[in-house]
Amino acid sequence: MINTIDISHYGTVAESIRIEAARILGEGLVTAVVAYTAGRRAGSVQPAIITSAAEAERLTFTAASVNNLAVYLTKAKKDIPRSGRIGIVVKGCDLKALVGLMGESQLQREQLYLIGIPCAGVLASTVRPAEPLTAGNLAPKCRECDAQLPEGCDYVPEIDLPLPTPLESTYAAEIARLEGLTPAERWAYWKEQFAKCIKCYACRQVCPFCFCEQCLCDRNKPQMVDTTPRPAGNTAWHIVRAMHLAGRCAGCAECERVCPMDIPLNLLNRKMAKELKELFDYEAGFAVNEKGPLTMFMEKDDQSFIK
Amino acid sequence: MSRIGVFICHCGENISRTVDVERVAAHAAALPGVAYATEYKYMCSDPGQTLLKKAIREQRLTHVVVAACSPRMHERTFRKAVEAAGLNPYLCEMANIREHCSWVHEDREQATVKACDIVGMMVERTKKNRVLPTITVPVTKRSLVIGGGIAGIQAALDIADSGHEVVLVEREPSIGGHMAQLSETFPTLDCSQCIMTPKMVDVANHPKITLYTYSEIELVEGYIGNFQVTVRKRARSVDERTCTGCGVCMTKCPQKKIPNKFDQYIGMRTAIYVPFPQAVPNTPVIDRENCTRFKTGKCGVCQKVCGPGAVDFEQQDTLIVEAVGAIVVATGFDLYSISEKPKGSPIKGYGEFGHGKIPDVIDGMTFERLASASGPTGGKIVRPSDGREPKQIVFIQCIGSRAREKGISYCSKVCCMYTAKHTMLYHHKVHDGQAYVFFMDARTPGKSYDEFWRRSIEEEEAVYIRGMVSRLYQKGDKIVVMGSDIAVGVQVEIEADMVVLATAVQPQQGADLLAQKLGISYDKYNFYSEAHAKLRPVECATAGIFLAGACQGPKDIPETVSQASAAAAKVMTLFSKERLEREPIVARVREVGCVGCFACKKVCAYGAVEEKEIRDRQGNLLRVVASVNPGVCAGCGTCQATCPSKCVELDGYTDEQIVAMIEAL
Repeated sequence: MINTIDISHYGTVAESIRIEAARILGEGLVTAVVAYTAGRRAGSVQPAIITSAAEAERLTFTAASVNNLAVYLTKAKKDIPRSGRIGIVVKGCDLKALVGLMGESQLQREQLYLIGIPCAGVLASTVRPAEPLTAGNLAPKCRECDAQLPEGCDYVPEIDLPLPTPLESTYAAEIARLEGLTPAERWAYWKEQFAKCIKCYACRQVCPFCFCEQCLCDRNKPQMVDTTPRPAGNTAWHIVRAMHLAGRCAGCAECERVCPMDIPLNLLNRKMAKELKELFDYEAGFAVNEKGPLTMFMEKDDQSFIK
Repeated sequence: MSRIGVFICHCGENISRTVDVERVAAHAAALPGVAYATEYKYMCSDPGQTLLKKAIREQRLTHVVVAACSPRMHERTFRKAVEAAGLNPYLCEMANIREHCSWVHEDREQATVKACDIVGMMVERTKKNRVLPTITVPVTKRSLVIGGGIAGIQAALDIADSGHEVVLVEREPSIGGHMAQLSETFPTLDCSQCIMTPKMVDVANHPKITLYTYSEIELVEGYIGNFQVTVRKRARSVDERTCTGCGVCMTKCPQKKIPNKFDQYIGMRTAIYVPFPQAVPNTPVIDRENCTRFKTGKCGVCQKVCGPGAVDFEQQDTLIVEAVGAIVVATGFDLYSISEKPKGSPIKGYGEFGHGKIPDVIDGMTFERLASASGPTGGKIVRPSDGREPKQIVFIQCIGSRAREKGISYCSKVCCMYTAKHTMLYHHKVHDGQAYVFFMDARTPGKSYDEFWRRSIEEEEAVYIRGMVSRLYQKGDKIVVMGSDIAVGVQVEIEADMVVLATAVQPQQGADLLAQKLGISYDKYNFYSEAHAKLRPVECATAGIFLAGACQGPKDIPETVSQASAAAAKVMTLFSKERLEREPIVARVREVGCVGCFACKKVCAYGAVEEKEIRDRQGNLLRVVASVNPGVCAGCGTCQATCPSKCVELDGYTDEQIVAMIEAL
């Protein structure tokens, strides 16, 4: 189980980010760069926005660089995109979110300078950031990664990415287990999971696709979703969240990482993605689509639900 | 505080038979906000409406709920009555206790409880109804007609005769369409050209009609009353203003052996040509694919011989933008080509019938050209292979039509009649010949139609064989037709000189692409869909667009002309007003919450959602939000359902109203 994953190139990647960020800021190509800097704990990182070439030396990239920085370009920090072209460090999974945001008119490609990461994986959120990366402590999303080398970036450090060892997807296994249950058993499982929710909305705040000015769950005229952390409102919220992400979520798994109650949120997202793949042969995050599968009708669409 | 009036209708016995209307009235009267509740036998009748108006005034009602039939039936009736009593019509709602309740239930007790619930829900919803002002949009009193066949010509002439300008666009070099190709027409056998060409001339001479031939629709923008249509006028290579139509260019053109589409490719034409002598306009066009000048740069004879110097090899396509208020779509039909399976189509070909392989197996339209006095043979019916007169001729009906296994399940409607006509034309011209017809059923509903069909058998000696043909093959210079006569139960084998296939009527090639440009719906065969099969047969669901002729479904000439005149009448009705009134049940965007993802724009089937820029006082762009054009919005509510942050509201169906209805249950 303890087969170490080769991430020896992350040092070179970090150096390349520092050089490239300094260059593009120095040349005035961008007004800011969204990237990672070292955190307080050994090996840990935190997101950072730098606006001058001098700050570039603070930047880093390690196996703890798990955050999806795309969220900083949306509602959370929505003043950033208005200030000019922005540089951003992206892993393959993060790029998928940006691609989705472009398709939904939230970003334009010309506004961005993409620094792509040849990524061998990041640590699971439960692991100390200084630990060496192994198949055992790899983030679950990385086990099924299909975008180690982000495509179409403006700059990617030239590195021969070590070939990944194929790993079994823990999500697929868990989905298969749940699909094997009866509806009543499955409902019992999710009821238990949703009961844990404290309605902190961390999952919403970290999600790049939750970019609404006002979430419908915060509306009170009429009130669509009960705001208190009680079973009915919790279930409604999680269903709304999963449904709103269907056909959009590409699996950065940030929701699951930040959930203080350890609700397996990405499991719902992966199940929706699986449905979309089976029903419409659609996978989110690979192309800037004008229309997604749920906003268009095609004659070959499955219509077996019409009885 | 609202003072709602609830009016419960017995609908004769339709409702009161299963629903205790008095109990519903008592229930309604006790609901908070309801000031008055009553029941009456026929609420929609004159005394019923008077009762309602009187109650509004005397009881000082603020809102009205009429518990009766479906709103599709009488919502308009009661809204008018409410308006006459001085209230905004959109403060009146219908509670459907007939279709949704009394008609579908038997148990009186349960049906009554359900009727009470339905009324209760509508009362809660109506409390949140807003006063909605009627929306008016200006109307451009010019019309576009797409397609210059008999449908388009009739519609264009009718509209133009009423005094409104018409832009008529035709894809081919001449107007006339398929009707101009026909020899004689059923059920009177009058010559098609004789009744068609004068109408074509009328179009050309009409001061209110602008004619664009050899042109196609490039782009359609806008909405009812206010369309902007871009027409691509293809390069004719001949200047229409200077050309006198003398025809010298055509006589001198060295390229003389090009199969003419108008003659179903059995007649020949030159590279600079008019498709037929009676063409309108009588201005030739250069077929650049076959012209030596365009292929090698070497000829140019036509330019040299042209007196007025009208030939222009440098001419380019031009794009013309026309503003119109209404559109009539009359793109007509095409015959199903059975020789091969059309690429990418679910429709399978009829390889077994040898069309395209055996030269004397032709389709019905080709027979028309052979029989036509203006056709390539001057009206002599001869075999395309050797020019001999066929003495035994076999007609086969339902080729493609009514053949589910081949991909088309509908009846093409005109084939029974035109095949009967073909047997007559044949008998008139080949006195010693014999015509056989293989048919499944003879479908002859229409004035004088059945008599016509009987005549082909009883007086013109056509032999009708009920049954289908299984196989055709060439044997020497004969075509062996093997089929079955199911009336007698025997196998039949006929050695024919010529076989005519009554192939299915299909929409024009590219009909789906045009529909997408227009934003109108079409069925799985690409026939355009009317708004209602019975009650709105000439309107599209898209406001301001009307249908005429075979583009909607197979039709004969009288039906096509009727529908074209009907479409023209609809256009005139539209043009009879200075501004168009529209029901204000339209979507509104709550701009403050809109995040500009444009999911609403993506799902809008009517193109009603636009992008709106919000700027500060200095003109700096702050945000781009969605905005609904109320002139285009059809009120379907798809945007409302799609908006992730629920920032689109459909007036009359707001989230607040829907939630109020649910909570009332």
